[in-house]
Formats: sequence, structure tokens, C-alpha cells
Amino acid sequence: MKSSSPPSARRSAPSSPAAAIAWEFQRRHRWGLLAIAAYLIVLAIVKLVVLARGQAVVFRSDESFAFAVIVPLDATLTYCLALFTYGLSGDLAGRPSMYPRRLFTLPASTAALAGWPMLYGSIAMILLWAAARTFVVWPSGFDIPVIWPAVAAAALLAWTQALTWMPYGLPGLRVILAVLWLGTLQSIVLLALRYEASEGVMLAILAPQLPLAFLVSRFAVARARRGVVPDWRGAFTWIGALARVRGRSANFATPERAQRWLEWRRHGRTLPALVAILLPFELALLFTTGGTPALVFIILLGVLLTPALMAAFVAATVRKPDLDGREAREDYGMAPFLATRPLSNRSLIAAKLAMSLWSTALAWALVIIAIPIALRLSQTWPVVIDRWHRTVALMGAARAAVIVVLIMAAFIAATWKQLVQTLCIGMTGRIWIVRASLVGTLAFLCVIGPLFDWIDSNSAVRAVLWNAAPLLLGALACVKLCAAAWVAVRLFRSRLLRDRTLVLGAAGWCVAVLALSAVLSWWIATELFPRYLFVYAAILAVPVVRLAAAPLALDWNRHR
Amino acid sequence: MVISVSGLSRRFGSKIALDGVSLELSRGAVYGLVGANGAGKTTLIRHLLGLLRAETGAVRVLGLDPVQEPVAVLSRIGYLSEENDLPGWMTVDELLRYTRAFYPTWDDAYAAELQESFALDPGTRIRNLSKGEKARAGLLVALAHRPELLILDEPSSGLDPIARRDILGAVLRTIAHEGRTVLFSSHLLDEVEEVADHVTMISRGRIVLSGPLDDIKTAHRVDGRVPTLNEIFVATVGET
Repeated sequence: MKSSSPPSARRSAPSSPAAAIAWEFQRRHRWGLLAIAAYLIVLAIVKLVVLARGQAVVFRSDESFAFAVIVPLDATLTYCLALFTYGLSGDLAGRPSMYPRRLFTLPASTAALAGWPMLYGSIAMILLWAAARTFVVWPSGFDIPVIWPAVAAAALLAWTQALTWMPYGLPGLRVILAVLWLGTLQSIVLLALRYEASEGVMLAILAPQLPLAFLVSRFAVARARRGVVPDWRGAFTWIGALARVRGRSANFATPERAQRWLEWRRHGRTLPALVAILLPFELALLFTTGGTPALVFIILLGVLLTPALMAAFVAATVRKPDLDGREAREDYGMAPFLATRPLSNRSLIAAKLAMSLWSTALAWALVIIAIPIALRLSQTWPVVIDRWHRTVALMGAARAAVIVVLIMAAFIAATWKQLVQTLCIGMTGRIWIVRASLVGTLAFLCVIGPLFDWIDSNSAVRAVLWNAAPLLLGALACVKLCAAAWVAVRLFRSRLLRDRTLVLGAAGWCVAVLALSAVLSWWIATELFPRYLFVYAAILAVPVVRLAAAPLALDWNRHR
Repeated sequence: MVISVSGLSRRFGSKIALDGVSLELSRGAVYGLVGANGAGKTTLIRHLLGLLRAETGAVRVLGLDPVQEPVAVLSRIGYLSEENDLPGWMTVDELLRYTRAFYPTWDDAYAAELQESFALDPGTRIRNLSKGEKARAGLLVALAHRPELLILDEPSSGLDPIARRDILGAVLRTIAHEGRTVLFSSHLLDEVEEVADHVTMISRGRIVLSGPLDDIKTAHRVDGRVPTLNEIFVATVGET
């Protein structure tokens, strides 16, 4: 019997579940895959040119190797992780599995549904390593391992898939487990690097991870396919009951309050919860330091960085103008329920900003309370006190206290900034903008490392840059001010913000810039830097453009 | 006029979703908007809500531009979405408290009456409600502020007959209040026939028929027999 489908359809139709899954990856991510291919081709061309000139590829240091190989590979690896876990279209902090539900109805076994993406991802990782090793590293002065980095990358991907596809009983648990488990895996690899483990040992450690991860993935997909989503929130119902007892009696006085409540319930508790779960693990490391100051301060630095790092994950959900009451959508479009609330775009954004402030404050309250307790219990408190006394002896008590406060303020501000700085991207509701920003970030990460390394290794370039630094910083500050002015004009013309809000916002930003530049001038009191450089730095550091653009982005999304 | 649309056109890529649509809806009547899937009903409704900007033409709802003045327009509209995307994590009680804050005209007694007649447990989370109960909850928050204009976009699509009866009953109760207007989009034509005073048929982005239901039926009478709306629809849309 003849097929009735047209020849073009017959030619392109996948003929098996394996081919269908491969076709979907290729079709949906063709631009990203093309970008990776282009990157590798450029590397290959550079390599050919270098080899044709008879030059050897020599890395002067571990840092240069890291910048030339690790950073670009990490960026590409991150993209591949998102791609092969279907992580670009799901809710990372949600409880349900991130495996696409549409695939569950395919006439394919659960092992196939879990196995094919894992196999394709592993092949991609292996090819990526092979390409990087051939085009970037080889031949070099280093003894570069052949197989185990590829297996390590494949294992990392396989475990990410397993953890991503697993349904969880609590929101945010996926992120925590992923951070802990993948961090452990990476630590093993770093330790092995540190102690120069042989290829055989590394393979013995890493190769079994692949079948193990596959079994966990198959289990996860099977549960998700059966619709199993455990719910452990019952253990925390007393918190909800308390909140309801407190809040049930009164209705919301204004729409703005109602919206702030909605934002808090949707996103506000995620960051404090993530920090609260990670803190005990991090601070427990203080008990293993034996009072070694370097280790104590590295652990404390890690703890202080945790809220900002977690905020970067949480921001991915905060910036979505969607509701979590329905299945995660790809298009970031605004849910009709929200879009039809009689509330201005200004108030919708203000509710998100207020929620972010409270969320940051609560997360940092936890950190500030937990650190002294952990230092006391681990008996590492004297190490910190000793460092404090030495700092006071060096610069005086007032100056030291101010510096500590400023550092803490910088960490807290960085956390809030992480939460809100990508609002203007997510609020557009355009998936192509979200993906373009992701690709842009990855490209930046790829370029910035080698660029710094090149500058660091070239004294002539360093000298030129040092002399041109005021001009460059000034130009960047000008670009930012021009962008801010453009956004302000658009806001004024669109009437999205009241004139008073615009003026107050501009005044507040100017005050923040002046205050920061004054603090920097006081802190770094040296003849080496002219004071106007601190003003440039403050202009670049204090957020304004992306924050102010958020209402415009939401308006563009809400009224398409 | 409650709704005034003139020369409204909209494209999505190469697809023409609306093509020169003009429509006027006066106060105090039920308007049925009917058409096949993809005909442009939801696109038209999204323009009325200000969720889409008019590429060409103009849209006025309650005398205002819904894109320029969304708060003023939306606070006077009750809307039940085809997607029914109420936040699943809220309880029914929280949904009522949250929604209440946006509408100065919210009627607590009416909300309580609707909640009781729809048998919605205030402590139940939205995600744990059945599809019919979710539709009732959506209808409750659309009606409880006694909107001047009620827009229902395929409200009974996929619902059981009892839920559909509740929704139609609510529409009838709404028009019982003087001066209120209902725009009811559906492809279930017997339903529209049951409640609508006026019918607008839309096909491939164009309005192909619009007017009072009785006039339309009279105009399409064949050999003295009054056809059903279904028959008129098939005859009209089949011709375009």
C-alpha cells in the first residue's frame, strides 16, 4: 500500500522514538547548536593558523589554561546541560518533574525516554571535549588527559538530567540537591586534579556514574510518567496555618498590597528557604577547619556568596510574568489572570521589587544570625576575632567597622541586584530575548576569560589600558547614562511612571552614585586614582537602566 | 456604546487573525460571538481586554482605550478566560480576598451567595478543584464585583452539562441587572442560541453575519421553517 503523505513529509518524518527525540533537539535548538559549531570552527581555524606558523600552543599558567579552555567549555557545557535536560522550558524550583509531559504519551518505553536524551547528551559532551582538546589544547606543554574529562562531563550531564527529571516533595529541593550533588562530583574531579590522579583511577571513579545516573533517571521519568509528585508540604502546614490565622481576618486594603502578597507567596520565600537549607551544610565545614584561618575565611566567603548565587537561580522564576498555577510555558507570556487585573504595570513591577527586598532581607537575616552561632559552636570565633583585632590595629576601629559594614552592604545589594536585574528581560515575555540574553551571557563568559589572560600576559597592552582606563570608564558611563536617559524619556512619554516617581527615582539614583563614589574615595584614599574614576565606577555599579526598563518590558508584553 | 470596534486588523506573522473587523455593542444585552476554532474570537476578545494592541483600527471599551487606560477599563470588566489560569496554589478563600482588593464595587454578599450556590469550599486549593469547579471559581471572581461588561471566552468548553448550566444561569442573572452587558464567545451554538439576544459570526478574521438573533433567523427562513443557529452557521461559514 502506498503512503498518502507527501514526499517531503516522508523524507523529514522521524522513523523511531530515538530519531524523533534527536530531531526535536536538533530542531528546537538549531541556533544554539549552530553557535557551538561556529565556536568550534573558529577554534579550529585559529589552531590551523597557529600550527601553520610552526608555533606551539603553550599555556603560561594554570589560569591561562583555565581561561582558554575551562571557561568557554563551562559556558558551552552549561548550555548543553540546559538543552539536554529540557531545562530551558521548565520550572527549576517547582516540584513536578521537568521532563516534558508531552513526551509521556509517545509509544516509547520509559527507558527509551530517559536513555535517548542521556545518550545524545553524553555523545555531545564527548564530542565537545574531543573538539576542545584537539582545537584548543593539543599540542601543549601540559599532559592533557584523553578520556576522563569527557566521561566527567557526560556524568555531570547524566546526573543533572536525573536530578532535573525527578519529581520532588518540596519546592526548591531540586536546586538544593543539584547544587550539593553536582558540587560533590565537581569536588571529586578537582581533588583528583589536585593530586594528579591517573586516567585509570579517574575512569574507575567516573564511568560507573553513567549507568547509576541512568537508573535514577529511568526511575524519575517512570514516576513522572505515572503522575507521581510527592507532596511533603504537609509537614510545614503549621507555618501556613499560622500565616492564615494572622492574615485571614483582614482583607487587603489596596490592590498594591494584594499584589505584593501574591508576589511574596509566589517567589518571596524561595530564596530564604534555599539559603536556610544550604547554610547548615556550608557552616558545618567550619567544624573541619581545625581553626586554620585561611580555611575559615574561605568558608565564610562561600557562605556570604551563597545568597547572591542562589538569587541568580531564583531570578529565573521571579522574572517570569506568569503564574505557577499552570504548566510551565515556554513563551514567558503573561497569564491572562494577571494581565487582566486592574493594576498598572508600575504597580506590578513595584510589587516584584518590594518582594525582592523582603526576600533579600530575610535571607540575609538568616545568614547574619547563623554565622556567629556556627563560629561559636565550631570554636572558630577566636580566628575571626584575631583577624578583627589585626585589622583594627592596621586601620583603626572606625575605619575597620565601616569597611565591614560596607562589605556586608555590598553582598546584600548584590543579592537584591541578582534578583531584579533580569526583570527587564523576562518581563518582555519573548522567549527569543530570554534565549538571546542567555547566549550573550555565555558568549561574554567565553570571551572575558581569554581577554583578561591576554591583557595579563601583555605588558604593553596593560600599559595602554591603564592609560586609557579613565577614557574607557568614562565612555562606558556615558553609554549607561545615554541608555538611562532613553529609558526615562520612553517612560515619560508612555506615562507608565508618574512624573514624581521618575524624578524621585532619578534623584535617588544620583544620591546612591554620589554616596558610593564618596565611600570609594574615602576607602581607597590614594593619589593613584583620580576621584572622578570613583564617580565613573559608581555610575556603572548602581543599577538603573535595566531596573527602569522593566515597566517598559512589561507594557510591551501585556499589550502585545 | 459599551464596545466600539472599527476597522480592526491583526496579523500574526503571515496569518491574518482579524481583517477589518467593525462591531458595536450597546448596553444591556447578551451578545454571542460565534465562529469556528481559529476564526478570531479570542483575538478579538484579547483586543477588547487590551492584551493586544490594534495594529490598524480602533477599539473603545466603555468609552476608553483599553491599552491606554487598562486599569480604568479592567476594573469595570468581568472576564472568564478560556484558559482558566487561576493560580493553583491559592485557596478559594485567598482567591476571593486577592481579587476583592482590585474592585471597589466588590459585593461581599453576592460573592458569598455565588460561592454557596457553586458549592465551593473556601479552604480548597484551586489546583485541587475539578475543571467544572475551577470554571465556577473563575466565574465567581468575574461576577462578584458586578461588572458593567462581562466577557466570557469559551466559558463552557470541555465542561459537563451541570457546570454549563451554572454558567448560563449566571449569564442570565447578570443581565437581569439593568444596564449590564455580556459578550459570550462560544462554538457551542445551541448554548449561544439559548441566551444571546444578538449574534456575531466570525470566520477567518472577518465578521460574516451580525445582528439580533431573531432577525437573523427570520432572514434565513427556508420554506417557512425557522432554521437553528447551527444550520445558519454552517450555511454562512460554509459559503465564505
